[in-house]
Amino acid sequence: MGAASERLPGGKAKSGKLSDAWGSVRSEFNDPEKRAAYWMILPTTLIVLLIAAWPILYAVWLSLQRILPNTTEWVWFDNYMQMFSDPIFYSALTNTFFFTVISVFFEFTLGLLIALALNKSFRGQGTARAIAIIPWAFPTVVSGAMWRLFYQDEVGIFAALASGLGYEGVILANDASVLIGAIISDVWKTTPFVALLLLAGLQTIPGDVYEAARVDGATKWQQFTRVTLPLLKPAILVALLFRTLDAWRVYDLFWSMSDRQLDSLSTYVFEFVRVSQADFSIGNAAAVFVFVSSIVIAFVFVKVLGVRQEA
Amino acid sequence: MNRRDFLKYSGAGILGASVLSSCSRVASGFTGAETVPEGTLIFSHGPDSSGTIPKVIAKFNKENQDGITVLYREAPADSGQYFDKLRTEFQAGGATTDIISGDVIWPAQFGPNDWIRDLSDRFTDEMRSEFLEPTIETNTFDGKIYGVPWFADVGMLYYRTDLLEEAGFDQPPKTWDELMDMAAEVQDKTNAQHGFLFQGAEYEGGVVNGLEFIYNAGAEVMPPDDPTKIVIDQGGADKGLAVQQRLVTEGIAPEAVATWKELETQDAFIKGNAVFMRSWPFVYGTILGGKETGSELKPDQVGIAPIPTLAEGDESFSGQGGWNFFINADTKKADESFKFIEYMIQPEIQSEFAVNASFLPPRASLYDDGQLLKDQPVVELAKDLVTRMKPRPRHPFYSDMSLVMADEFNAVIKSDSSPEEAVTALQSELGRLANLGAEVYDL
Amino acid sequence: MDDDNKQSLVGRVAFFVGIVLFLIFTLFPLYWVLRMSLVSSDALFEKPTLGTLFTIPFDMSGQCNLFGLKFSCPPSYETVLADQLYKDGLLNSLIIASITTIVCLVVGSAAAYALARIEFVARKPVLSAVLAISFFPAVAIIAPLFIQFLSFGLLNTYWSAIIPDVMFALPLTIYLLVAYFRQLPADLEDAAKVDGANVWQAFYKVTIPLSAPGVVTTGILTFIFAWNEFLFANTFLLEPKVQPATVIIPQFASIYTVDYGAQAAAALLMTVPLVIMVLFFQRRIVAGLTAGAVK
Repeated sequence: MGAASERLPGGKAKSGKLSDAWGSVRSEFNDPEKRAAYWMILPTTLIVLLIAAWPILYAVWLSLQRILPNTTEWVWFDNYMQMFSDPIFYSALTNTFFFTVISVFFEFTLGLLIALALNKSFRGQGTARAIAIIPWAFPTVVSGAMWRLFYQDEVGIFAALASGLGYEGVILANDASVLIGAIISDVWKTTPFVALLLLAGLQTIPGDVYEAARVDGATKWQQFTRVTLPLLKPAILVALLFRTLDAWRVYDLFWSMSDRQLDSLSTYVFEFVRVSQADFSIGNAAAVFVFVSSIVIAFVFVKVLGVRQEA
Repeated sequence: MNRRDFLKYSGAGILGASVLSSCSRVASGFTGAETVPEGTLIFSHGPDSSGTIPKVIAKFNKENQDGITVLYREAPADSGQYFDKLRTEFQAGGATTDIISGDVIWPAQFGPNDWIRDLSDRFTDEMRSEFLEPTIETNTFDGKIYGVPWFADVGMLYYRTDLLEEAGFDQPPKTWDELMDMAAEVQDKTNAQHGFLFQGAEYEGGVVNGLEFIYNAGAEVMPPDDPTKIVIDQGGADKGLAVQQRLVTEGIAPEAVATWKELETQDAFIKGNAVFMRSWPFVYGTILGGKETGSELKPDQVGIAPIPTLAEGDESFSGQGGWNFFINADTKKADESFKFIEYMIQPEIQSEFAVNASFLPPRASLYDDGQLLKDQPVVELAKDLVTRMKPRPRHPFYSDMSLVMADEFNAVIKSDSSPEEAVTALQSELGRLANLGAEVYDL
Repeated sequence: MDDDNKQSLVGRVAFFVGIVLFLIFTLFPLYWVLRMSLVSSDALFEKPTLGTLFTIPFDMSGQCNLFGLKFSCPPSYETVLADQLYKDGLLNSLIIASITTIVCLVVGSAAAYALARIEFVARKPVLSAVLAISFFPAVAIIAPLFIQFLSFGLLNTYWSAIIPDVMFALPLTIYLLVAYFRQLPADLEDAAKVDGANVWQAFYKVTIPLSAPGVVTTGILTFIFAWNEFLFANTFLLEPKVQPATVIIPQFASIYTVDYGAQAAAALLMTVPLVIMVLFFQRRIVAGLTAGAVK
């Protein structure tokens, strides 16, 4: 018990306390309920350790070396230094930041509204739900290219609409408008994902909780803020957390829609890890950066939004 | 049995047969059982909509005396993706393709890593002499020949003969200044929407275009036989790039050209919206196809000319594309692989590809073959141009160089950067890569 | 009373208008993609005007052949339906996505139950580790995974796509299920345990049925993820016989041109099974499984 409370929230046990930790784990095997818990997490742990751990650790290890076709030298943090002095890295960082903040904001707000709407019974509810999921279900491998076509100056439908409304530029030639276009495309595609996720959460809230609140005289708004939102919190947290992290690591959309003009953190990683030969190592450093920054974001989320520690 | 029963049984039969074959395919998908028969050679190339490749391979499989069977495995349509896939396989040591069809920029990237074989001994001097110089040049690196040319692709200037005539011109332009003046006048007199179209997006095609402007200004990026030096800051490369920029700033080329690739430029041209266009031979095939392939132009409205140069009287260079045969260094069947290659480069087979798939032959003699010139007009048109092809820089780190060049060329087109700034940046970046390459590969 | 009525009328109108706007925003790009698949390549590249916005110049010049039935259809569909690789690809997609989903649900729900309901020492580290593995950009671990699969002989088998898919889908699966499980009041399971059920029985007799909306949703989202996954399939499945449809679709192109019509048609055909799946399962995503049902 003592060893457990000295861990960092969400972190792994410090190595010094490893034997203590193992001791407490061993002692838990005596409790049938806790034993069952360990069996339940066993397959997952195996998958994480056997399949994910090695490639990730290997990539981290690679990031500390300069890898060239015939030589490998240990350079410690040199790759990171190079990355941090690359202006393209900062452009990728800014693009990704704005993309993440703006799309997640819209996806979450719209997603919540849609989930609330689809939660009510109305005629055609099932069909509405099935239609709602189509943008998310549409293959990403094609949707990026299609949206690029939509914005294309000669034949694009959205480019035509924009110029009909008075816009004079070439959407795809201007970094800012490409970014906005990417955000619109992502909001279109991903709002259903958030909506479906929150809808399931709404559906799990038992009806009598609302009943009780109504009997107590709560208005619709009060029902929403005092009953729905708190009970929906776990689902909201997952939706926000995963959407933010997905947006932070956006690759497909930027690569196929902006066609290399606009960089996101992940396309930056891709360019160095997959396209470049000479600067391959910087790509691994960038990948580790994405990894670490994602952990930081997740950490902030959990802290700020506060996950209830007890069931 | 009556007709209904027959249909029912035959329908069930067809369904049953397809279910059975699906089952075995799926089963091998789980077990990884090899479905390629022992001793078959695997040949990879991108999708071929004309269907010529499977036909030729089938012929080879039937005709060859040595019992060699070749299997055509379709590679990704996108050249960059195909390259990526191969490189992953090579780096892990797991490439299973025997004969690889590859882009002209691959030999210098694969060869020095010993991923593809040195074919200097098999592809002899004598054999090479029958091929166009540039097609051999692009397959050579560090004194070794890594590939055998399959078909070529060359940059051309398309122009509207009818619009030029209407405006009073009877010859295509020879210099960029001429082109810009002509385009402006023709646009004035005939209401054509665009003056000149080219591929300016940030991708490999954009690099080819930018290099054409540089080469035609009399400049070089890298001396042909010395991959350790970068010379882009000598000889007027910045003037070449300045032309690229002026074409947009003076309204001859649309602003959107900075986002256009082959598809967009072709589309605008065949709809009759432009006076001049720089593109590849495939567009002519589309024009020949008429309404069916979407062309509103007829062949007699279109002419082909060499790419204009900066200075009067300079030699014109064309960007070079094309595909070549490489042999996987790991293959155990190198001799058989080369036999297949020898079959594919025969004049008759090359003619077949030229007529049915519009693949420009790399054999010099075929450009004098009267029958071929008649059957495939594109060959006639390209006859002069294929002698003007100039390869892109050949270097093991070409992928990196391409990223840098694509970025800088695109910035110049968008006027985000001046030609001088771009050239300075390129000299420094490409220089770093060249030095690194010299060190790593001992050039 | 009057106020109430007025509010609900305004509310209802707003609701209706909202739903309609949402459907338009969702469907318009899809309508355009559908239009692209139905017209000739000529019309595809025409500049759209207000007049042509809602007209579809159907091009029925193609001949389609589906299960022996021959009929006229747009050329894009002819290209797609005639492509055996694409059809095989759909089956491959089905196999990969189904197995990934089943594995994720089975493995993930068990883990999620333990993580949501049981206090044990390893809980926080496991939760964090599970989440963290999905943070690493997939492109950066492609090469090490390739080497791993090559040495185990898994390349070119469905497993080389299923394993990474599971790896990247599992975190969301677990986190979603943990969230949905947590939304259920614990007293239901406690009641079951009082009646003599052990942890496992409480899990699959009480928790799973009550969180059916969550489980079904998670399954659907996982299936869609694996169905549309491209990167791993493209890198590890080198032979066309095992490639899923996502890898085949970009092949409707040549070096310089892209057959947008065929790609649009192929993508729409790929989406149809997913929509049918959602329509079928959405009946399970229904509220009303309240405490009263558990006795």
